[in-house]
Amino acid sequence: MPIVQCDHVNKTYRQGNIQVRALREVSLEVDKGGFVALSGPSGSGKTTLLNIIGGLDLADSGAVVVDGESLEQMSQTQLAEMRLQKVGFVFQAYNLVPVLSALENVEFVMLLQGVPTDERRKRARAILDAVGLEGRHDRRPRELSGGQQQRVAVARAIVSNPAIVLADEPTANLDSKTGQGLLEMMRQMNQERGVTFIFSTHDQMVMDFARRLVIIRDGQVVDDRVKG
Amino acid sequence: MFLSLAWRNIWRNPRRTAVILAAVVIGVWCMVFLGALMRGMMVEMVDNGIATLTGHLQIHRKGYQSDPVIENSMRDPGPASKALQDSLPAGSHWTARVRVNAVANNARHNAGVTLVGIDPACEAKVSFIGHAVAQGQYLKPDDDYGIVVGQALLEKFETKLGHKLILMSQDTGRQIASRAFRIRGVFHAQQRATEKQFVFVTKAAAQDMLKLGSGISELSALLPEAASPQKAADRLRGELPGAYEVLTWPQLLPLIKLYLGMMDSFVVIWYVVVFVAMGFGIVNTTLMAVFERIREYGLLKSLGLKPWGIIKGVMAESFFLLLIGAALGNALGLATVWALSYHGIDLSALAQGAEFFGMGRVIYPEAHIKDILTANLVVFILGLVVCLYPAVKAARFTPVEALAHT
Amino acid sequence: MSIDLRMAWRNLWRNPRRTLLTMSAIAFACVLLVFMLSWQFGSYETMINTAVKVQTGHLHVEAADYQDRQDMRLVIKDPQAVTKMVQAAPGVEAYTVRANSFALVSSQERTYGILVVGIDPAREAKVSTLKSIVRQGSFLEPGDHEGALVGRLLAQNLQVKLGDELTVLGQGRDGSIAALVLKVRGIYSSGMDDFDRSSIQMGLQAFQDAFTMEGAAHQVVAICQSLEEVAGAKAYMAAHLPPQKDPGLTVLDWKQLMPGLLQGIEMDLVSGIIFYIILLVVVTFSILNTFLMSILERTHEFGVLMAMGAKPGRLGRLVVMESLAMNLLGVGAGMIMGALITWYFQVQGIDLGAQELMAQYGIVGRIYPRLSWLSLLSGPAVVFVMTLLAALYPTRRLWKLRPVEAMNYA
Repeated sequence: MPIVQCDHVNKTYRQGNIQVRALREVSLEVDKGGFVALSGPSGSGKTTLLNIIGGLDLADSGAVVVDGESLEQMSQTQLAEMRLQKVGFVFQAYNLVPVLSALENVEFVMLLQGVPTDERRKRARAILDAVGLEGRHDRRPRELSGGQQQRVAVARAIVSNPAIVLADEPTANLDSKTGQGLLEMMRQMNQERGVTFIFSTHDQMVMDFARRLVIIRDGQVVDDRVKG
Repeated sequence: MFLSLAWRNIWRNPRRTAVILAAVVIGVWCMVFLGALMRGMMVEMVDNGIATLTGHLQIHRKGYQSDPVIENSMRDPGPASKALQDSLPAGSHWTARVRVNAVANNARHNAGVTLVGIDPACEAKVSFIGHAVAQGQYLKPDDDYGIVVGQALLEKFETKLGHKLILMSQDTGRQIASRAFRIRGVFHAQQRATEKQFVFVTKAAAQDMLKLGSGISELSALLPEAASPQKAADRLRGELPGAYEVLTWPQLLPLIKLYLGMMDSFVVIWYVVVFVAMGFGIVNTTLMAVFERIREYGLLKSLGLKPWGIIKGVMAESFFLLLIGAALGNALGLATVWALSYHGIDLSALAQGAEFFGMGRVIYPEAHIKDILTANLVVFILGLVVCLYPAVKAARFTPVEALAHT
Repeated sequence: MSIDLRMAWRNLWRNPRRTLLTMSAIAFACVLLVFMLSWQFGSYETMINTAVKVQTGHLHVEAADYQDRQDMRLVIKDPQAVTKMVQAAPGVEAYTVRANSFALVSSQERTYGILVVGIDPAREAKVSTLKSIVRQGSFLEPGDHEGALVGRLLAQNLQVKLGDELTVLGQGRDGSIAALVLKVRGIYSSGMDDFDRSSIQMGLQAFQDAFTMEGAAHQVVAICQSLEEVAGAKAYMAAHLPPQKDPGLTVLDWKQLMPGLLQGIEMDLVSGIIFYIILLVVVTFSILNTFLMSILERTHEFGVLMAMGAKPGRLGRLVVMESLAMNLLGVGAGMIMGALITWYFQVQGIDLGAQELMAQYGIVGRIYPRLSWLSLLSGPAVVFVMTLLAALYPTRRLWKLRPVEAMNYA
């Protein structure tokens, strides 16, 4: 049973007067527990695809189903609800809320879900420990290094047990050693907790870590292989 | 180049500029309009005071002002008349009056009034009474038993045109003189108090009744608009011996003078208060604009721009902001004044309240250059002063910390 | 504190300079309103109290139409019946009986037409301030049939001093000539020019004899324990007026007795309110930018939160909480400062330096602003609402925000 199904997805943007076809007839299925990298040059459409899977953006045509729910007919509110329950995001620029501590950033998603305070706190602490941030729970984002901030972002993405975590160039701002540490941590989360990860990247290291590599070029899937 | 940069900077965030402009425009608009409204009120009050038997200046026998009784009247108005003739600027009008306290009676009522004996033709050019008769007719020069009373007095005495009214007062021999007059005309005034207070007879009738001979109480003069009452009074004082006192309207109407002074300072206080209200917004907006552009200032500085250049740049932006705001505000304010100056603002609903404050029933806003200048000066000077804070802030960033700022 | 609240609070201090400036603007408006309203209410109270205490009292019982026509034939035929009823009315502190007539009053030197008022000295002293403002000589003794009190300005005009004789010439109730001679017993000064030059006071008994009143009077004047009691007392009196025909009796309260004063107050209040509204609009626009900017500059952050599943309403709540905190702090500070400043002047009084002018309006001496719940709360409440609206307006933007575009927003 695939957790993400894209079927003949098309997406066109207007940029000023120019029409940009970001995605053409893209069909893609990702199984539960997958660790998939979408790769391709800048402007190939991988971020657009990620956004459409995450319900941040709607496809012009084609069907997108996430965890059994079809996204195309959803309102903005329903999409927000879907994201809240099923999708975790990790961004290139970490994008933590600057006024909240690491712990509070993680708690915030559960707050939106209405998890009771005690449980929220317990789960947030556990996940921060799991991503290797023992003793740094109460630091604000600016008091953490880039790698640490990204770990908080990952913790925030997976704490609500989403069906999928979408990571847009998560290592792009990190040096390779920190990036590797982060990827190892994510792989661990994937293996231990069965969280599905989909990356968009052009970092070779991410591609090496991925168990399946999808290459996108000019809005089309040109290669899709599962590695040993 | 420097100014056009400032100009363009204002429009980098049009919405923000629009909001702060709105604050400045509304502020200036209200300053101009309310300033004009208050000025209108004051002018009305002064005009009304001057028209109500005051004139721009008066000549009395010395001592009359502090004790206005018949003993202090001028026995011979000749020298004073001549002085007026000789020294008042062309276009001036003056008139002689007899003015005494009296008691008015009819069969049913009595009340204290001020009996005014006038020269009908001269008086009409000097005070309100010439064009205030609404019923019946104005006094004829040879009418020795005619009297013109106010509408309010007529109502109070339950009488009407053609009926008799008896006046009693003390004559020069300290005897009670009385004479019956017939109501020839009824006048309307801005204030009911005026209608109740004054009754008008001819000067000859009053002199005859009070045994005054050719004596009068006062000479009242109205000057052409451009003439200064102060200067005219000074000239008159030079010509007249010490037995006379020459008083200008601010001396004759000390309460109005006080009121004017108070209103003047009130207007300035009000300008400053409105300015403070928008000043917070101006500083805040400029500060935000400056902080958004820290990197840019860092860059300019590393390119060699001096701190003074940055201050000038920020100030130029504020200046443009104030300029647009003030221009629109003034335009709107003047337009409002213009729109309302024809019909005025009718206070009839609060007529007694208006009278309580000595105002007329209709206020006509009047834009005076002085008020508008004051308003704009307050806005510009204080506006630029408060903007020094963000400007200096911007100039103080060192290039390195500015460029490091995200 | 919940995360929401903490977040709002910390967001508030992300740009402390801006927050402080905005709060100062709010506080400034509040201080001004608290002070100005207290000032206005204080001066109104002084004006009303002075006018009530010096002249009219709170309530009059008199013949219908007497107020308008001042006709001395419109009398209360049986003052005792009225005073008995007035005495029984709830809230009435004191009462007195007066009779008035316009007459020619002459000294040796001068003659003036003025109002002659017959008063009951013992009762009058409890109702009005007349006794306490006698500056020279003494107040009238009960049973003094030839004494008179004269205002300072009138004494000046008549050129009389204590002990001098005054000749009063008037018309009796029946149309006959009333003539009598009085001695100046006391000279008073209320500070209100009009009052000090327009009447003399004499004993009621002597007045009734001289003006052939046949025991009748013109006014029964009552004063209540406080302004709040007036309505109740008036209703009671209106319901229990002794029967009298031609003319009938009526009850008038101070507002009817001094319509000019009430309208003057209304006018002052209305023009004040116009000023305040304008000021508030300027302040609102002045601080609107802060709220606009704090949303605009966090567009990216809101995009991220939306990507995480936060709905616009949720973000709106956050922003509103933030502005609410700023609003409450500003309003609170403004109220405290406003109250302190007002309180200082309430104790010290304010000297406008225009005594003659203020005396015209019945304000003698300093003006004391009066802090009340109304003056303390009403201005800041309006500031609070306007600020809230200014803060709500930019939140509309949140509903138009799409996460992807928001995150790409520079």
